[in-house]
Amino acid sequence: MKFHTTDPASNPSAVLYNRCTVDLQTGAISFADIPCRNLEDVLGGFGRSFQDLAQRTIKTAYCDENPLIVNTGLLTGSSAMTGMRTYFSGYSPIKGSKAGLPAAMWSTGSGKFGAKFKWTGLDELIFENCSATPVYILIKETPDGPMVEVKSATHLLGLSTHAKIMALQLEYPDAHFAAIGQAGENWQNNYMGGVALSTENQLKSKEDKCRFAGRGGMGSLMGHKNILALVAQSSDKHGKLSEAVKKVNLNVVKGGGSARIQPLSRGGGGGTWAAYDVLQAFHAVPLNNFRPQGNDLPEKLFRENVEKEYDIKSEACYRCGITCHNNISEKNIDGSKGEFLAKFDYEPLNLLGTNIGIHDAGQAARLIQLCDNYGMDAISLGVTISYALAYNERHPGKTILNGATFGDYAKIRELIIQTGEGKLPEIGKGSMRLSESLGETSYAYHVKGLEIAAYQPETNPGYAWAIAGGHMSMGTYGLLTREGKSDIDSWVKGITEDKLHIVGFDMIGLCKFFDIAKGIGTQMVVDCLKSEFDLDVSADAIRAAVRQAFLRGLALELRQGYTKAEFCLPAEVIENPNPHIKLPNITSPEFLAQLETQVWAIFEPELEGLLAPVLMR
Amino acid sequence: MNIKVRLFGLFRIDRFKEDIRSIPPGTSAQAVIDDLQLPATMLGIILINDIHAEASDLLSDGDCLTLLPLLDGG
Repeated sequence: MKFHTTDPASNPSAVLYNRCTVDLQTGAISFADIPCRNLEDVLGGFGRSFQDLAQRTIKTAYCDENPLIVNTGLLTGSSAMTGMRTYFSGYSPIKGSKAGLPAAMWSTGSGKFGAKFKWTGLDELIFENCSATPVYILIKETPDGPMVEVKSATHLLGLSTHAKIMALQLEYPDAHFAAIGQAGENWQNNYMGGVALSTENQLKSKEDKCRFAGRGGMGSLMGHKNILALVAQSSDKHGKLSEAVKKVNLNVVKGGGSARIQPLSRGGGGGTWAAYDVLQAFHAVPLNNFRPQGNDLPEKLFRENVEKEYDIKSEACYRCGITCHNNISEKNIDGSKGEFLAKFDYEPLNLLGTNIGIHDAGQAARLIQLCDNYGMDAISLGVTISYALAYNERHPGKTILNGATFGDYAKIRELIIQTGEGKLPEIGKGSMRLSESLGETSYAYHVKGLEIAAYQPETNPGYAWAIAGGHMSMGTYGLLTREGKSDIDSWVKGITEDKLHIVGFDMIGLCKFFDIAKGIGTQMVVDCLKSEFDLDVSADAIRAAVRQAFLRGLALELRQGYTKAEFCLPAEVIENPNPHIKLPNITSPEFLAQLETQVWAIFEPELEGLLAPVLMR
Repeated sequence: MNIKVRLFGLFRIDRFKEDIRSIPPGTSAQAVIDDLQLPATMLGIILINDIHAEASDLLSDGDCLTLLPLLDGG
């Protein structure tokens, strides 16, 4: 990026970002320095991409006019800890309105690809149209600036995410990679393809330890464009760590923001996996398609029980001190570490474990590994499978697919393999479409067409206003459970003021664990921007930009045909309240109606004019 | 007076899952937390009789005090 101002909030057009546009049909490649329209553009990520998506009329995700936008955030590749995010944006094949229009979507992941991409000198890469043959894209740093090449990828066809990355590493040993798996290649029947991002650990160990931009089918969109992988080749650029950033980083590692995520050995909570223990206290761990039974079944996947039989190693992203990964490996007879299986994060573990009736850690790990290698979103996959299992449980004489039921590991494994290979569109197209085709929609656990995360909807009416997936674009999932808030005022305030700020991380290039509770409108971020780029931006200006970007996402949903009635929780939650969840009921029809009225009364006036036409650049 | 204390997650390490403890009248949840030497940065949720409570809340005979670590996104 080029900065000709120190005050980007007042003078955003004096900040320019380097965009490359690749026309996959003609092979034309062009570069341009683009002036920023506002602070959202400067911060980057979806704050910028959604403004560009809003300029297009897209009626189906799989069309030439739907771009795939790959970009970074302002702090991606910086010295600020966790600054490793890459963003993939486009109109989603899986998330869509009842009117049949696709929703704008972004997905993000860490790994080292984002930093390497940024270090090539490029800030954004837009893919237009589709390639006639499978290709990969080489993004390379040269003395004359970034260079982009489209290269044949027929040799990568049919390989898993990890195998693609390993194959490309042989050719580009100093690069990092973003790759789709077979799921993305089979985009016609699989709308939940994700993008795997390579990590230093993966490239050194040769073990399948990718990070994922999973949500919303951005890997399927990439597959539709016939792009199998991206290669970012650049030298590492670590500026001298300033005292200011050093202080911030120390605060990230030692401060409250990431405390729960740190390993147990460092006095932390042991990663996101620890959510199991907390939620189980309320019998709110999703089980058998989001129907906790008030029993102790979820405890089988508690860390204390898993570590008896498996090796658990805490590892971190590149140069990150948070060390949030819990990598599970087989344990050899002599107690030493055996074959690597998978990384246990709360979401994949629950949705490909307890929530489909799998309570054996080794089986859950194998399913996560399969999902990752085929390159699918673990949330969408797990929740769509759990819907199918619930259907079969309700219709024992008239089952669907292979007749799998909760806990049937062999049959569930078969479903995942077939879905990954594009042979099972019933699962691959997500729970909304499957449930509509079967005429039983009430127990399909999606909101606005995108499967919800592993937090019971009974605990989070805020799901309805999340703009890019259940928990990471609306931080209300802990408002009842963690904060004990069950009154309307707290929920209205949570949704419309405080908790929407979680999306700021998906603009600036930082991981949410940088400071998940406070967002990016903080002195820590202000200090990083000053130190890294000599920018003077106030915390208030950052918060205003984040709010504006969130509201734009909401406005885009409405423009894509969502009615207010679609901003709702799965019907089963209301129609058949779960008596086992030990928390106040905040999903009664009366509570939800009141919440809806008050939330829209605040949001609606602010949406006016947000999508006003902007001249194409 | 006696209260029941329930611990979850990492708080159980080298402590217990559930314990009956004798405390003098007027004891706050914070005093029990201090006595158990739970790390302040990790304490996320306090429940008294399954209802969210504050550390300064006073305990009564027969209460069940549940102490949970932080919960943040996954």
